[in-house]
Amino acid sequence: MLRAASHAAALAMMAAAITTAQAQTKPRADSAAKRAAKDSVAARGMQGMMPGMEMGPAKKPGPGPRTRPATSAMPNMAMPVPMPAGMPMMPGLVGLRPAGSTFLPGAGVSVATLPAAKPRQLVTLGDGDTLDLTAMLVRRTIRGRAFAMYGFNGQVPGPLIRVPQNATIIVRFHNRIDLPSTVHWHGVRLENRNDGVPGLTQEAVAIGGTFVYRVHFPDAGVYWYHPHVREDIEQAMGLFGNMLVDSPDRDYYSPVNEEQVLMLDDLLVNGDTLIRFGREGPDFALMGRVGNVMLVNAEPRYSARVNRGAVVRFYLTNVSSSRTFNLSFGGAPMKVVASDVSRFEREERVPSVVLAPAERYIVEARFDKPGRYALVNAVQAINHFAGEFSSQLDTLGTITVRATPATPDYARQFTTLRENAAVSRDIASYRASFDRAPDKTLNLTVKTTGLPLATVQFMSIDTAYFAPVEWVDGMPDMNWLSTSEQVTWILRDAATGKENMDIDWHVAQGSMVKLRIFNDPTSFHPMQHPIHLHGQRMLVIARDGVATKNLVWKDTALIPVGSTVDVLIDASNPGAWMLHCHIAEHLGAGMMAVMHVDPAGRGAPVKGR
Amino acid sequence: MPSAAAAQTGPYDIHLLSTPSAPQSAGEARLQFASSPFGIAVAADGRAIYDVRITASGLPSPSTVGAYSAFVAWAVTTDLKEWVRLGSVTNGTNVVGSLQMNKFLLVITAEASASVAMHAGPTMLHGTSPSGWLQSFLTHPLFRGISQ
Repeated sequence: MLRAASHAAALAMMAAAITTAQAQTKPRADSAAKRAAKDSVAARGMQGMMPGMEMGPAKKPGPGPRTRPATSAMPNMAMPVPMPAGMPMMPGLVGLRPAGSTFLPGAGVSVATLPAAKPRQLVTLGDGDTLDLTAMLVRRTIRGRAFAMYGFNGQVPGPLIRVPQNATIIVRFHNRIDLPSTVHWHGVRLENRNDGVPGLTQEAVAIGGTFVYRVHFPDAGVYWYHPHVREDIEQAMGLFGNMLVDSPDRDYYSPVNEEQVLMLDDLLVNGDTLIRFGREGPDFALMGRVGNVMLVNAEPRYSARVNRGAVVRFYLTNVSSSRTFNLSFGGAPMKVVASDVSRFEREERVPSVVLAPAERYIVEARFDKPGRYALVNAVQAINHFAGEFSSQLDTLGTITVRATPATPDYARQFTTLRENAAVSRDIASYRASFDRAPDKTLNLTVKTTGLPLATVQFMSIDTAYFAPVEWVDGMPDMNWLSTSEQVTWILRDAATGKENMDIDWHVAQGSMVKLRIFNDPTSFHPMQHPIHLHGQRMLVIARDGVATKNLVWKDTALIPVGSTVDVLIDASNPGAWMLHCHIAEHLGAGMMAVMHVDPAGRGAPVKGR
Repeated sequence: MPSAAAAQTGPYDIHLLSTPSAPQSAGEARLQFASSPFGIAVAADGRAIYDVRITASGLPSPSTVGAYSAFVAWAVTTDLKEWVRLGSVTNGTNVVGSLQMNKFLLVITAEASASVAMHAGPTMLHGTSPSGWLQSFLTHPLFRGISQ
């Protein structure tokens, strides 16, 4: 399944990297924690550092001495994770801290000496062009506080790469950060060896190393790139960027006055301090790390100015580790045009945009009155202490509308909801497979061991109600204390019982795979999962038995708690491809599998077109 | 454990209980996300938008319980302040419209007509949204001694 030589080499490289990083990092106060961290690294080979590598053997959860509970070595230590207003930390958790040692970028480096992060720059490339892309340490100043973080080419987000559809570009990736890394070209149906998954399609790029990617763009739309190594750290610290792929059809989208490319993110800080990351594997393993500072294009306050009546096309990408957004533009009328890998069959008016991690949506909004429109994230939070819902609204930025009228006036085109016949024609040949029995079924669940008793007690009652989507982290103390040693998120093949990287699916190139995904609400901690499939495209054809009315090609599908979602995979691109949850900490806690698309149809159990 | 095959029960089903007004009646309601290009339907304020499907059986003729001609389903906030008319209900399966509430009671009453705007008649069936399970932990030992 995995290339053993590559796996071993990468492990050795990771061990060396972590040894160096540990030497640069101030050790924790308690010797027990240090010993535990050392043992863990030796035993697990940097568990969770390389999700594509840490398959199977290193991640066999269950009771036993390997799992370290949260430690109480520093009972008087201040709680480093801020709690929501009105939500006390549970007495049973006070003084505990996650097992293992911690990590922040740039240990031993003076933040002041790092280059200041620059805003993203547009890079327009043509077929055959080459781009040098360097992951590096940068100094980011957020709310007046400077942090050592990461950026591509000194920019956060990384360069906005704009290419024509069907172009192929060469990207020379240089790793100049303090961890091994790769680049994954999210949503792009490219050649497998360029997919950027360590241990599966390449070896991780060592610190100081270089890797050359050949990226072909067969589909128009908005895509993004990010590392596939410890996304919970590297992506969260700034390694992400967008790609816009332009259709040769000049009428592909409706005409607009402006385009805005927004990457939605959040960052978890306590006062002036970044919350440190688990070194051996992710912490916040139950819910993923949910930030308390909202960021648009890496800044806490987004702003734009447009003329009255302007129609603006927004390319939205959720690059956060775990947060699902519900975005709107101060009541401006809005329509959704496209998503991950295609346009919708039909444009639709929408009150807001729901955007799970890694998803993209393209929406158009019209700002017809002078004044200020707030870009807001509005959700229903759950106060688990009081047992109540509460509205939570965060303003991410402002669109200021001038009195000057926009020219041309695209009001008529905006009002029109297009029918994209080309999308429906493309999908037509797949419809015959919509109603047949699933080829494969995945159940989503979780196993835990060694969590604090208070967490176990609380969850046993709290999960009597499971929200379909958890929009906020209502219990960050419990979440922080859970690590990937204690929590294993699971994709389970219903037919074989195999889990995560023990799943070894083979399907024939050119086949359609109907996959049913069931998110088990009875698990210890049910939670939504944005499931991402590399290198292919898929249709969400039904949810809970109800057929989807307006189809669009996706690479990431949100699976709410308790839901059964049917997707139809267009298995057209040969190679070994990851299927995983895109909540970074869930991925780091095991929630991934591989689907092989075999050119020769080796063992392909699914039906062809 | 549950599996995808067990789709005859939904994740957000509401069991409806009968009352002395109609002791032979029974019912289930299913909350299902309204159609949305995002897979889940939510309002601009983040509240989920559910289509409500009610399956009832054993309801008598409305006139047998008084001067009534129809049964009507209502969604009611837990403080009973807000009553939202969903639609009329008969024996069998009824799709009674969509709903945007966090916690609510589901009540089916007998009414003078199917189009009444306010409830006035006796309750036939009632249930609680799954979110009603979300209760305060104020007195749980886990939080004892902690004040809000």
